[in-house]
Amino acid sequence: MSEGSPTKKAEGPEYIRIEFDLPRHYNWSTGRYLGKVYAEAKENKKMVAPRCPTCKHLWARPPAPVCPKCKVDMGWDWVELPLTGTIFQYTYQVYPLWDPHEGERWSNPHPPAIILLDNGIYFRHLLEETDTKKLKEGMRVQAVWEEDYEKRGKGFQDILYFRTIEE
Amino acid sequence: MAGRVAIVGVGQTHHTSRRDDVNLPEMVGEAVRAALADAQLSKKDIEAFIFSNMESFEGLLLPDHGMITEVGATGKPGLKVTGGGTTGSEAVGEACNLVSAGLYDITMVVSWQKHDCGDATAGISAAAVPIAAKGLVVGAVSEFAKQALSYINQSGAREEHAAMVRLKADRCACRNPYAHLRLGLKGLDDYLQSGYLVWPIRMLDFCPQSCGACVVILASEERAKKIHKKPVWVVDFEVAHQEPFSAGSFGDPTGTETYSQDVAAARLYKRNGITDVRKQVDMAEIYEPSTWEEMSLYEHFHFCEKNEGWKLIEKGVTEIEGEFPVNPSGGVIASNPIGATPVLRIAEAALQIRGDAGEHQVTRDVKTAIATSLGGPNWTAMFLLKRSL
Amino acid sequence: MAERVAIVAVAQTKYHPNRADVSEEELAYEAIKQVLEEAGLTLSDMDSAITCCQDAYDGRTIASLSLQRVVGAHFGHELTVAEDGINAAYVAMAEVLSGHFETVLLVSHMKESQAEKSVIENCAFDAILMRQLGLDYTSAAALQAKRYTDKYGITPEQCAKAVVRNRRNARNNPFAQEPLDITVDDVIRSRMLASPIRLLDTKPISDGSCAMIMTTEEKAKKLTKKLVWIAGVSNCYETHYLGDRELADCDALVKAAKKAYSMAGIDDPLSQIDVAEISTEYSYQEPLWLEGLGFCGRGEGGKLVDSISLEMGGQLPVNPSGGVLPGNPNGVAGMARIAESVLQLRGEAGTRQVDGAKVALAHGYTGICGQHQAVMILSNM
Repeated sequence: MSEGSPTKKAEGPEYIRIEFDLPRHYNWSTGRYLGKVYAEAKENKKMVAPRCPTCKHLWARPPAPVCPKCKVDMGWDWVELPLTGTIFQYTYQVYPLWDPHEGERWSNPHPPAIILLDNGIYFRHLLEETDTKKLKEGMRVQAVWEEDYEKRGKGFQDILYFRTIEE
Repeated sequence: MAGRVAIVGVGQTHHTSRRDDVNLPEMVGEAVRAALADAQLSKKDIEAFIFSNMESFEGLLLPDHGMITEVGATGKPGLKVTGGGTTGSEAVGEACNLVSAGLYDITMVVSWQKHDCGDATAGISAAAVPIAAKGLVVGAVSEFAKQALSYINQSGAREEHAAMVRLKADRCACRNPYAHLRLGLKGLDDYLQSGYLVWPIRMLDFCPQSCGACVVILASEERAKKIHKKPVWVVDFEVAHQEPFSAGSFGDPTGTETYSQDVAAARLYKRNGITDVRKQVDMAEIYEPSTWEEMSLYEHFHFCEKNEGWKLIEKGVTEIEGEFPVNPSGGVIASNPIGATPVLRIAEAALQIRGDAGEHQVTRDVKTAIATSLGGPNWTAMFLLKRSL
Repeated sequence: MAERVAIVAVAQTKYHPNRADVSEEELAYEAIKQVLEEAGLTLSDMDSAITCCQDAYDGRTIASLSLQRVVGAHFGHELTVAEDGINAAYVAMAEVLSGHFETVLLVSHMKESQAEKSVIENCAFDAILMRQLGLDYTSAAALQAKRYTDKYGITPEQCAKAVVRNRRNARNNPFAQEPLDITVDDVIRSRMLASPIRLLDTKPISDGSCAMIMTTEEKAKKLTKKLVWIAGVSNCYETHYLGDRELADCDALVKAAKKAYSMAGIDDPLSQIDVAEISTEYSYQEPLWLEGLGFCGRGEGGKLVDSISLEMGGQLPVNPSGGVLPGNPNGVAGMARIAESVLQLRGEAGTRQVDGAKVALAHGYTGICGQHQAVMILSNM
């Protein structure tokens, strides 16, 4: 048995720990492809995705300069996504976890879901309904936009969540 | 491969949630000394080093540089690899490549994670493109929650099966003195009392954040035979990355897409003439971040037919005493020092082949074993290890 | 080495202080696209991809996640090296030599502009003992510069000469970020950053990427007539704590160079190597690294920089590209040195070409005061 064996488990003496925060600031560039999504969302309240010239698949989240499956240049063929669909799968968080971007604990955020848009594309976003008893797979949902132009500019986050609709 | 490579030494620390008694290099040093003792080598015998760790979890840049003296790499070649959960496997792969390329005779893989320095869930959430997916990913937990839902829907597995996986892991971990979570779970009730993290993943379904290190020493054929009485041969390895499924998740909720595990397994088995895994391979150490994922992986690694993974656990096939033991070490649900987790799978499989696994040695005579890892959005690495060439 | 590994295509972006117009993925893809075109291959032809990036700079866990698509990793192999790009080349070479992969795509990218460089660099220091001193690479380099110049009597003018030459050479390099026509006086009068390092003694913030394709001898011969081989390679770590190191002597580099030379059959580097591309983020490093590389004796780097033999047309042209000082991102720098060496050996270096270059040296380093050193010898014979 090595010295790292359980017989040497940390207990007993009080150990000295050095704690400090690590502030780091970043300026991420959206680039051309994601930038197109940001611009269309902010300016026109539209969600767009590039279409692969070979497989014709729409790569919604996030868009890329290369088709992941065909491995060819994506080109610049953009298609607007319909923002109604059905809940394909959802989950919800019970135990609050750290938000790495804000440094605060999340509690009961909107349930993350996979939404099957009406054009057959899967789209990951949040659901408005936080009462999980009211959620069912297959429910119809529609995107709710941030209406304030000044508050938009957060890309996919310009859609606040998807709201349950009756049809 | 050009030159054959064998594992001639393995060493690990015990795994636990906090190691306040040691700093990072000291913790890693424990595993280094254990591996050197196992190989009966000294620090000066090691010719090159590959370091494996997920650096952002500890908030470090160049974490290898701070432990050079402790591991004995001063004045020696080496480098650090990084990446997702498969990092450790890739490190072992590259350390094998250095030997089979003829560049060195003896290389060491040094892998670790000291989670008490940071937060892995925050770290994993930060893997989402910050400007594209902020707020949508809650660590690996929410991803494996979706994977679990997909698996439940497609295979018909029930919560009691997840409980069986958890209880198996705990029984194994209780026999492995190095394992982190050794809970002594009594039965289904203990499991059902565990709260949800992200529905339907319970606290007990998911891997912990562990502090720990694992070191593997590799050697060329000629040297290996002289160093160790029981060298374990790295016969082959295979890696397959994966783009997120079209639904953007770890598992495929549509049930129509190919998994990287299927791709990697098919290539590895074909090259090595494996047509019936459970017959031709004697055991497996797999990287299963959750109970549900373990059952799903049984299928994707071709241990059984599709949608029958839960039947293997139901029948006890994968128990220590079973026909095809999986994770007799307790696996990742019991211990998860992420950067070292894949290396641990390889080390544990090697110990099983040598017959040196002690209390958690499986009943079946292990001549051939598989060690796998999982990372990123369902990336796979697989190693095939054998007792004789 | 029994079998040979060839570099069949190289590409770099133009280095730039702030590529706000592209994402990391798009930046990497700019160089990748070029090497694929040059080699006449597609992403599907690649057996493996080696990326080179660091989570802390990219601000993302598993930084290589953003590169999966542009390296074509789906159902294939990708590995990330978290050090200088020259180490990615080392790993790629081992992959080919081991017979595990035939054709390997390498890419190194970095956007220094998106993070706060000194804050990130501070994380490279021992968390308890050194980080809290507020050190970054520049302040640590200042300690090394002071120790080295004091021990061997290297003058600020000698260091400045390296800057003048590198910045001038950069004028011939279309990828260079900040070519300048300056004098020794300009350098030693520039703003002091951390004594003795002044603004012009170091490099500007830089964004860019570099890519290459490596393959077996057999495949290389089918792809190109201008073959460049890896003749020798090695790297070496030094201990971490600055107080434990003799900062005036770069022992790790001495060891790395010796091994690379012995693989390449070099016993007299000054006469056998035709051109050297070395990574110098700070001016004092040029004489110091040249000593480590065995081009002169210990403490003689100053004299070597003084002599004209490092100029274009001299006995050992050093950094015809201008090297790192005119602006190269951390992590990309070493791979860019290999790319420049390959261009020299193919006779494709344009106005920075060293006539008849047959053997080239590429050098890269990672970490504080060059804690990890790497050397690669390339040849077209």
